[in-house]
Amino acid sequence: MVSVINTVDTSHEDMIHDAQMDYYGTRLATCSSDRSVKIFDVRNGGQILIADLRGHEGPVWQVAWAHPMYGNILASCSYDRKVIIWKEENGTWEKTHEHTGHDSSVNSVCWAPHDYGLILACGSSDGAISLLTYTGEGQWEVKKINNAHTIGCNAVSWAPAVVPGSLIDQPSGQKPNYIKKFASGGCDNLIKLWKEEEDGQWKEEQKLEAHSDWVRDVAWAPSIGLPTSTIASCSQDGRVFIWTCDDISSNTWSPKLLHKFNDVVWHVSWSITANILAVSGGDNKFIFREGMHLCEWWRERQKERIPSRHEP
Amino acid sequence: MEELDGEPTVTLIPGVNSKKKQMCFDWGPGEMLVCETSFNKKEKSETVPGCPFIYIIRKDIDVYSQILRKLFNESHGIFVGLQRIEEELTGKSRKAQLPCFLSLQDAPCSCCMSFHFCRLVRVSKNYRSVIRACMEEMHQAAIAAKDPASGRQFSSQVSILSAMELIWNLCEILFIEVAPAGPLLLHLLDWVRLHVCEVDSLLADVLGSENPSKHESFWNLVTILVLQGRLDEARQMLSKEADVSPTSAGMCRILGDLMRTMPVLSPGNTQTLTELELKWQHWHEECERHLQDGTFASSPHLESLCKIMLGDEAALLEQKELLNNWYHFLVTRLLYSHPTVKPIDLHFYAQSSLDLFLGGESSPEPLDNILMAAFEFDIHQVIKECSIALSNWWFVAHLTDLLDHCKLLQSHNLYFGSNMREFLLLEYASGLFAHHRPSCLSSDCCSLWQLGVDYFDYCPELGRVSLELHIERIPLSTEQKALKVLRICEQRQMTEQVRSICKILAMKAVRNNRLGSALSWSIRAKDAAFATLVSDRFLRDYCERGCFSDLDLIDNLGPAMMLSDRLTFLGKYREFHRFYGEKRFFDAASLLLSLMTSQIAPRCFWVTLLTDALPLLEQKQVIFTTEQTYELMRCLEDLASGRPVRGEPGAQRLQEDIENTKLEMLRLALARNLARAIIKEGSLEGS
Repeated sequence: MVSVINTVDTSHEDMIHDAQMDYYGTRLATCSSDRSVKIFDVRNGGQILIADLRGHEGPVWQVAWAHPMYGNILASCSYDRKVIIWKEENGTWEKTHEHTGHDSSVNSVCWAPHDYGLILACGSSDGAISLLTYTGEGQWEVKKINNAHTIGCNAVSWAPAVVPGSLIDQPSGQKPNYIKKFASGGCDNLIKLWKEEEDGQWKEEQKLEAHSDWVRDVAWAPSIGLPTSTIASCSQDGRVFIWTCDDISSNTWSPKLLHKFNDVVWHVSWSITANILAVSGGDNKFIFREGMHLCEWWRERQKERIPSRHEP
Repeated sequence: MEELDGEPTVTLIPGVNSKKKQMCFDWGPGEMLVCETSFNKKEKSETVPGCPFIYIIRKDIDVYSQILRKLFNESHGIFVGLQRIEEELTGKSRKAQLPCFLSLQDAPCSCCMSFHFCRLVRVSKNYRSVIRACMEEMHQAAIAAKDPASGRQFSSQVSILSAMELIWNLCEILFIEVAPAGPLLLHLLDWVRLHVCEVDSLLADVLGSENPSKHESFWNLVTILVLQGRLDEARQMLSKEADVSPTSAGMCRILGDLMRTMPVLSPGNTQTLTELELKWQHWHEECERHLQDGTFASSPHLESLCKIMLGDEAALLEQKELLNNWYHFLVTRLLYSHPTVKPIDLHFYAQSSLDLFLGGESSPEPLDNILMAAFEFDIHQVIKECSIALSNWWFVAHLTDLLDHCKLLQSHNLYFGSNMREFLLLEYASGLFAHHRPSCLSSDCCSLWQLGVDYFDYCPELGRVSLELHIERIPLSTEQKALKVLRICEQRQMTEQVRSICKILAMKAVRNNRLGSALSWSIRAKDAAFATLVSDRFLRDYCERGCFSDLDLIDNLGPAMMLSDRLTFLGKYREFHRFYGEKRFFDAASLLLSLMTSQIAPRCFWVTLLTDALPLLEQKQVIFTTEQTYELMRCLEDLASGRPVRGEPGAQRLQEDIENTKLEMLRLALARNLARAIIKEGSLEGS
């Protein structure tokens, strides 16, 4: 049994496309086709509008909160081909950076694990993925992976940070050598895993093929201390796959079909301890509890059929 | 993933127009967000604008109840105590190499066994008393409620708690006390009596009236006393009837005698079960004889009571209203027809009692199914059904943990066993963590997450990692809270979390220009890179303002100074200033020199250092020796010529920055000092 503990009236004038809680669950960011991004304080079951951010010229598809150690930073991406990074400075929210390097709608943004620094991955309908790295003093360095997916890239998701070797204090001033990886899903029905090489360039490390239609979302599960890595993917073909790799060095991924739905599955999302996967689909929504038998499926029923496929 | 053997519960979000819109779901750290959306990404939006609401939903909502808070707090204490008993025990048994507690099948050492079980039973009773206390408080709240809606809510909570206690009590009898045939019935009788409380108030009512036997509920009372096996009290009531009604006095006395002579197993009784059975059989036959002889024929009430005492099903079923539920029916039936029922036979009687009682008119409710599963000794089913039926994990988590300690969740069934215990505890603890109200001022309230820490500690497989993931999400609204969180992480050597939390606090401090705070956080995090960053800021501030902030902190760095080169430099540089302030010029001079020559001073700071040397050079007495002066001159020339030293960047810029006048001044001062030093040293040597 679940209960609604709070209902936030965002007053968006049009369809809401994404809602994300910040790291601590105290703030809620929402974005909408009305081109705005709103931020609410939702502590204690309340809802106080903190900011109404305007800057996009088209529907805003996703928002993503950066790790709190960098302050209060939010990224948003939109149909208007822009990615905007907003920052709270002295109690007010302002645009701190605008990235216009894409030729088409930017569909997905995802912040890298905080251990890597402040890095944002953006996937776009122009097929490219760009990586914005904050280098200090308000400067952002851009790296672009062109033609990451033919036709378009729909989703990006970072792998959790794994520190190679031991965690003994590093020699002063030096950063530990992380192996940065992320996954992307695209209109070429593929999921691709990308790795940063020593020279700083990003290389395609793996292609995961199992879907027969556009991959709508990928989500890399948080690490629970086991050597296994897990990625969830969902697609226009109605299937949700769970990909597991038992040993990150071997890099062999095996897919397991979680379920085939009757309709497009748009979104997958892991809980913070990776024990539940939320799946948002056009027909029904399921939450799966992996691993344990006391499965409870909470099913919210919707009766609407999804109309035709996405048009870039 | 195993399929559920039943339809999952459908939950509709109130207010969502599920017919027209799609729903989007995402996770917050402890809750789920739901909103209406349209996934079809077109530029032009749908003609009907979307719903502007975002719903925040959660499963374990009971954490928000004030009264239940006490339940969580107190049961936490019992839980931790239980884990410690186990630790103590396994420690002992390993040392003493006793065979007990490995499994119930092994021949246990009876004294240890019974002592341990006594403790487990006591723990179970403690849990139950906590539930009852909570129920009582909730009940009071229901009475005192200002509006009917909250009153109703409290009342419904009371029923839920009552059901939980009912289930727990039965589990205690069947699984923990493991009452054998004979005592089993007595326990079940107690169980039933505990959960039907109207009897006592009715008894008081009737006895308190002027003419008890003429009270309208008199016969109901007597009947229910008989149904509950409270035959002594029933007999007393009958004697009251006998007093006022001479015609039925005789019958009352006979029935009373039958009541008095019914064989029961009493604690401390040394008779065997067989002896009891035999006696009971004789008694049963005597009752039957009276019935056949029509002893009670003229009093329908008394006859009905006799039939009840004979365990006549029809007679019992006539009392459905008084019995109120099928498990009461079951126990009464057992009392008067199979008092020496064996635990393994219980479920036969339970099923038939349920069927008879419901009589095909209604279907079993979740509570009925749970109790039935318990009578069938299907522990896993009990836990599964409870998990689904209840809105919180508290009950199943604690009960399962206790049953696991009784070694009842054997891992012969691969998927269950200790894994289930851990799974439930993890769910419960996660729910506690989601409960933290940053704006709460009182220190002891809203700290349910701290209880969660202990639960995670006792989950050997995923407890630690779950704690790591959750503890980072506690909002660090006050320094106190941050310190509390850090202490918990440090105690458990969760170095990554300590680092991450300290870094968050350090960066926040830097943004608010509280450099001292930032530095102490980075020291605590043992974050060398960040310490370097903050030290640089300090030094920059010094260059700009000519003084240091947070002197106390820098002065008392101690061994932490070694964390990073830059930090060491900062500490030593400050020491230099202190020496100068204390007029320990020679110490200051050698320190200054070592700072320059040891390479820990950043290049960009050399100018400042050399400039700091000026006052020492201008002193009346000669402080720098010739050697030292030569060193200084060399450093100055290095700087001036812009020769890059060991790959430090920005050498070009330095050249531009250094003003010629400064350079000249320094050269002059150094030359003068050299001259004086040579003279001084020459003179000394001479004499």
